[in-house]
This record gives sequence, C-alpha cells and structure tokens, in this order.
Amino acid sequence: MTAPVLSLENISKTFGALIATSGLSLDVRAGEIHALIGPNGAGKTTLIQQIYGALSPDSGSIFLNGDDITSLSVPARVRKGIGRSFQISNVLTGFSVLENAIIAEQARRGHCFSFLSPAFSDASLIAGAEQLLDRVGLLARASQQVAALAHGERRMLELALALAGQPSLLLLDEPMAGAGIEDSQHMTQIIDQLRGKVAILLIEHDMDAVFRLADRITVLVEGQIIAVGTPDEISQNQHVKAAYLGDDS
Amino acid sequence: MAGILRILGIIGSGMAHNRMLWLVVAGFGLFPIFTHVADLPFWNDLAMRIMLLGIAAMGLNLVLGYGGMVSFGHAAFIGIGAYCVGISQYYGLMDGWLHILFALLACGITGLIIGVLALRTSGIYFIMITLGFAQMLFFLFVSLENFGGDDGMSIDRAEFGIIDLYEPLRLYFLIWGVLVLVGVMLMVIVRSRFGVTLQAIKSNETRVEAMGLVPLHYKLVSYVMSAMICGLAGALFASWQEYVSPDIMHWTRSGELMIIIILGGLGTLAGPIIGAIVFLLLEEFLPLMLETLLPAYAENWMIIFGPLLVLVVLFGRGGLVGLINRIIDRLKGSSASRGRS
Ligand SMILES: Nc1ncnc2c1ncn2[C@@H]1O[C@H](COP(=O)(O)OP(=O)(O)O)[C@@H](O)[C@H]1O
Ligand SMILES: [Mg+2]
Repeated sequence: MTAPVLSLENISKTFGALIATSGLSLDVRAGEIHALIGPNGAGKTTLIQQIYGALSPDSGSIFLNGDDITSLSVPARVRKGIGRSFQISNVLTGFSVLENAIIAEQARRGHCFSFLSPAFSDASLIAGAEQLLDRVGLLARASQQVAALAHGERRMLELALALAGQPSLLLLDEPMAGAGIEDSQHMTQIIDQLRGKVAILLIEHDMDAVFRLADRITVLVEGQIIAVGTPDEISQNQHVKAAYLGDDS
Repeated sequence: MAGILRILGIIGSGMAHNRMLWLVVAGFGLFPIFTHVADLPFWNDLAMRIMLLGIAAMGLNLVLGYGGMVSFGHAAFIGIGAYCVGISQYYGLMDGWLHILFALLACGITGLIIGVLALRTSGIYFIMITLGFAQMLFFLFVSLENFGGDDGMSIDRAEFGIIDLYEPLRLYFLIWGVLVLVGVMLMVIVRSRFGVTLQAIKSNETRVEAMGLVPLHYKLVSYVMSAMICGLAGALFASWQEYVSPDIMHWTRSGELMIIIILGGLGTLAGPIIGAIVFLLLEEFLPLMLETLLPAYAENWMIIFGPLLVLVVLFGRGGLVGLINRIIDRLKGSSASRGRS
C-alpha cells in the first residue's frame, strides 16, 4: 500500500480549558474521500485549521505525503499540495468569475512578481482558468461578477479555486452548508468526479451526501475519534449510533 | 500608434478611468498655452502644485486604493525626497538626477524598514504605526539644526544637464513628464500579475494565502514602490518651493493625500490627480468665494470645506471618478434608449 497522503500523529489542541483536539491520529489515503463527521463543536473545523496551518497544534505531528509539515506556514503547505474551501464561502469579491480563476491559476504557476505582463488578457492564463471553471460547471458564468452568483455557484467557484493549485489533499469544510437540494446534488456529483484524482477530507452535515460519497468515515466527538470505518461499518456502529447518528434515527 | 493607444487604454477595451487620466494629463500639457494667452502665470504655479500632490497621491493610491493598506504616514516620504535635495545641496551637490536617485534610494530603504515593521499589523494599528513612524521622522528633521531645524532651509532649483529650471516652464514640463511617467507605470503595474495579486489581497487576504502566496511580500513591495513615488514627488516639490522645512512632512499632509484620493476615487488611475485638482482649487478659491458671498465665514472656510468632503465621500460612491462614470453611463444610456425608440 502506498503511503497515506495525510497522516496526523497524536495531535492535541486546547483553547484554555477546552480540549478541541485530543491526542488524535488519522490517515487519509491517496485518492480516497474521507468524511469527518460529528456534532457541532466536536472540533472538526479546528482540526482542519491545524492541517491547513492556520492553527498550530499544541503537540503532535502532521505529515503530508511523508513530509513533516507541522511547522510550515499556510502558503507553504498550499504549495506542498493542500487546497481548501472554507465553512463560510470565501472567494475574491469585486472580481468576475473568470478573474477569480485567473488569479488562482497564476498563483499556481507561481510568477506573480511580474510587473509588466497584463494578467487578465493573458491567453494562456485565460485558457487555464476556463479549464478550471469547466471542471465545476461554471464556464457559462465566467463573465459574471462574483456578487451576481447564487450561493451554490459561489461554493462551486470556491471549489474551483481550491483545485487550481492541483492539490494532493483537498480540505472541504461543509461545502453543502446552506445549499438547496439541487445545489447539494450538483456538489455531490462534482466531488464524486474528483474521487481517485485527489484525496479529500470532507466535513459535512448532510448525511445523504456523506454516505454516498465517503470511502471511509471518521466520527469525531469532543475532539476524539470514536470510530473510523466504511459507511456500512459506521452506520452499524453502536457507539456512533448512541453518540451521534442516534439523533437522526 | 494604435497599439500604443490601446496599451494606454485610450482606445479599445481600456477602462474609462484610464481615458480620464490621459485626458487630464493632456490638459496639464496644454495648460501653459492657456495661461500664456490669458496672461495668468500664477496659474502655472498652482498647476505645478496640483501635479506634485497628484503624483504623490498616485503613489499612495497604490497601497491605499489598490492594496487596501491605510497608510497615514506617506507625507514622510515626500519630506525625505525633499530633504534629499536640500541636504545634497548643503554638501554642494547640485545635479538634479543625483537628487532624484538619492530620493528614490532613501525612500525605498525607509519604506522597506517601515513596511517590514508596520505591515505585521493591520486595521487601526497599521494606521497608528505608520503615523507614528512619520511623526518620528518629522521630529528627526525638526531636530537637525544643520539643515535649518524647524525653520528649514532655502534651496536652489536643481540642475538637470542643459535644462535650466529657472527658464520659464522648464520645471513645469519636468513635473509634467514625471506625471506622465508615473501614470504609465501605475497603469501597467495595476494590470500586471503583481497588480492583480495586490488587488486580490485587498479583496480577500485569506483566499490569496489559500492560493499559496504570501500576502506580506506583495504588500511590502507595493509599499516600497509607493514610498519611492512619493519621494520622487518630494524631490520635485523642493525645486518648486525652493525651500524645504519639516512642514512638508507634517501629518496633516498625510491626511490631505488620503482625502485627495478618496475625493477623486479610491483605486482608480485618474482619481488621485482629479482629486488633487478639485482639492487644491477649493482650498485656493473657497476662501475667496466666501469673502464675497459670506464674509463672516471667510476665515473659517474649513467649516464649508469639511462637510463638502464628507458629502462626496458619503454620496459619491467611487469619488469623483465614480460620479463622472455614472454621469457618462446615464448619458450613454439615455442616448441609447432614444436611438431605440
Ligand atoms: N479560536 C478559538 N478560541 C476558543 N475556542 C474555540 C476557537 N475555535 C473553536 N473553539 C471551540 O472549539 C470547539 C470546536 O469548535 P469547531 O472546531 O469549530 O467545531 P466544529 O467545526 O466541529 O463544529 C468549540 O467548542 C468551539 O467553541
Ligand atoms: Mg465547523
């Protein structure tokens, strides 16, 4: 078996007296969609933030493709292959959809310290950006201002921006939050198409989507993993039923 | 030729405020003909002052308008640029090119140091720390007795090879040339990959980080560039004023630059120069107008000026450039609908 894309070793994080992450270890395998579920306040976003580099763990180590990235900054981790969407959708307002994608595309190519060549009329950047938008079905909306996008479209744009860096690990924090049924189905379909191409750590409350998409599911409660397994194993797990899924059934 | 016009945004798909910038610049280029015919040489002097403050405001606009960094200390760079001329002359160096080189170097280095320290903060802290550094530099020059301290020092107009700045209009067109140069430079930078990244950082720093870029690097480079542009304006300011004192870098001038930009249109190419025109014309003529209309208020013309600025800021979304654009759109819209019906 190949090495996991992401490997967390004994991560802990406290906020004062609150233990947000408690000695947590977790692997995300190459190409898998790994769902992270748990009640509100379980510490899911906090965990994502530590993987991403916006928060640093009090103790423990984080490995990306075998490299220790625990002490790296956010941009350095992104360049090493982490892409993410945020719980509250996060795109470049004041720009068009295409311009968003162009900025992400030029960032991946990594020569943004050019003072002469115009960015938004560069044919090769436009081509790359259009390809990116096509992957999430937003090409037809390329010339729209971000402000004119529907909620679901903004989420799609954010996903496109996260994919622009050609990440090996994609962190998606509640990509369906606030979306209607149709948008959720579209998002589910797009994420499904990414299976095998990029490892995905998916936080999501929409259990239909989670059970349809996930290759494996980790259940987090109060900063601790109470179960890891396939969707079938998780839905049969007594602890999980009691602690979390029980609410629904 | 058409290629150059297209690049400058005068024809083709260029944004309207590019065209506005070049229109204003052309106006300044032709202005001496008007003053000559109308026999109003005083107005050339005012035009130079407007261009100088306009250039400095264009420099500040790079960080304030395009980068979203509210620097409240940019007058310091004008002062450093001006003192580079004064201090060079004190030591007998009269070459204007050398003055400009010193001004660019000094402002580049000072901008780098202040930028590295101040850009670690944001919001109100950034405003206060940039103001703080500017005040430190202000009092530094006040304390330099060799260079006139509080009173400042008289200087001669610099020597630019065969161009004698004491000949009529030589200084005028030197300043105008720099205005054109800075205008072209900013227009190119703003559209470049760097400029676009800077504007993306203003829009959403978190997202730019998530793209793997380090926002601080881009902010710092823009900060240094804007400091250098203000330094350039300062060096010319010294020759224009034939005098330099710490007054040139008083904190109120930093505020003035910000007001000029907001008045003209934040983050637009033409905004700073249009803002400078309106600001300085009001400053010049509002007291005179009041003297004839409302003599009781003439002394306190700021009472009218202040609220006027507040109104523009509140209701003129995008400043004067935004206002002009909306008027043009309205005119176009009504002529288009007339054409249809
Ligand atoms: N920056 C912070 N400071 C203090 N407490 C925090 C901070 N961020 C999150 N928390 C707390 O940590 C716990 C986990 O939060 P979070 O990771 O957002 O949960 P989830 O995403 O699973 O809903 C919550 O109790 C939350 O209030
Ligand atoms: Mg959360």
